[in-house]
Amino acid sequence: MNATLPSHANGAGLGLLSQAAEPTASVHITGLQLGYRGRPVLQGLDWQMHPGQVIGLLGRNGAGKTTLLEALLGLRDVQAGTVRLFGQPATRLDDAARARIGYVPQASDLFEDLRADELLAYFRSFYPRWNGAKVEALMQRWGVPRDVEIGRMSGGQQQRLSIIRALAHEPDLLVLDEPVASLDPLARRDFLRELVEQVLDRGTTVVFSTHILSDLERVAFNVAFLQSGRIGLQAPLDELIDETRLVTGPEPLLATLQGVEVLARRDGRRLLRHVDERSLPPGLVAQRASLEDLFEALT
Amino acid sequence: MDTPIQFQINTGSAEPIYRQLMDQLRRRVAAGQWQAGQELPSVRELALQLAVHPMTISKAYGLLETEGLLERRRGLAMRIAAGHARPAAARDRIEQLRPTLQRAAAEAHELGISKTRALELFDRLLDAPDRGAAR
Repeated sequence: MNATLPSHANGAGLGLLSQAAEPTASVHITGLQLGYRGRPVLQGLDWQMHPGQVIGLLGRNGAGKTTLLEALLGLRDVQAGTVRLFGQPATRLDDAARARIGYVPQASDLFEDLRADELLAYFRSFYPRWNGAKVEALMQRWGVPRDVEIGRMSGGQQQRLSIIRALAHEPDLLVLDEPVASLDPLARRDFLRELVEQVLDRGTTVVFSTHILSDLERVAFNVAFLQSGRIGLQAPLDELIDETRLVTGPEPLLATLQGVEVLARRDGRRLLRHVDERSLPPGLVAQRASLEDLFEALT
Repeated sequence: MDTPIQFQINTGSAEPIYRQLMDQLRRRVAAGQWQAGQELPSVRELALQLAVHPMTISKAYGLLETEGLLERRRGLAMRIAAGHARPAAARDRIEQLRPTLQRAAAEAHELGISKTRALELFDRLLDAPDRGAAR
């Protein structure tokens, strides 16, 4: 492990865990615990993101994706664990670190009485960097009216404006919670292109929750599965698809499988990693898994 | 003269996107439609056009370069490597169809479809005029 670190990384962050010594982590979460009214939601969750990674966060409804993203941004009191963004505690970011973050919340948090141009002017005052040309271009392309009160815009228009606001200051970390739920397919595709451009031009780190798996498949090079309050698995999506097989058959036969990595088990089926299909006993059938199969098995 | 280089991807399949790109290029080159010297879109162009992560594109290009189908030139666009100017021999091309047909044959067995029925269907698919990409 140490051999792969650049030499200047040795000794950085003395006294921290060895992984924390990597200077480049955009997000570093350890042992995160959070619950509501005695019901645990996040249970000792560890997670890391590095510059340029686009990570799709997958989980069932109610698994805690929004809670996790809000805790990641320092918007929630946690019961245990640490969240660090660019090396700083998420709840005590300095202004410079704060300006490096863009966030599109699931529910619109825009001021409804303002018009789009007033809102953008307001936010502009907070950020040292602001790409006015990009804002202009996106407002035009996405048809967001600048002279209508936000409260009177459609859900789709509000969501577009929320995305434009999050991209305007060219963040290094972009956190997107169901950003495309009310966008039509064309607008979604255009939004994905915008994300790809951010990654190409700035090496932006993006984390992005959605149930639209086809979008994730395109832009998320990595996928993370939230299950039982932890990130159960994170891996490059194409490796996962290449390396896993969905094996089905009678339970007694499945129970005899040995020496393979079982990612998920349900009655009558297993999701296996690095399995040699030819070594399976007759009676078991191995199939390649799609992202949808992975979602079903791993969340 | 050259067929323009354009890629298509399907989401929701058990075939990762980088492999879909590789397979399309292999088939087009084997068919002689994309020829030696033809330039590929840059990683940036293709990533933006398809709205996929740039690493997915570079992965496909890199593997195709290792296979000898693409050549990288410093500071210039990737291009189809020399030696791929003509269509591959028919018997080599049909070998590329084998894995797909093998899978189809296995599925036909699982579904209990007779040989005649399966061949009829394949026959019809080959003739279907609106399956543009296949022709």
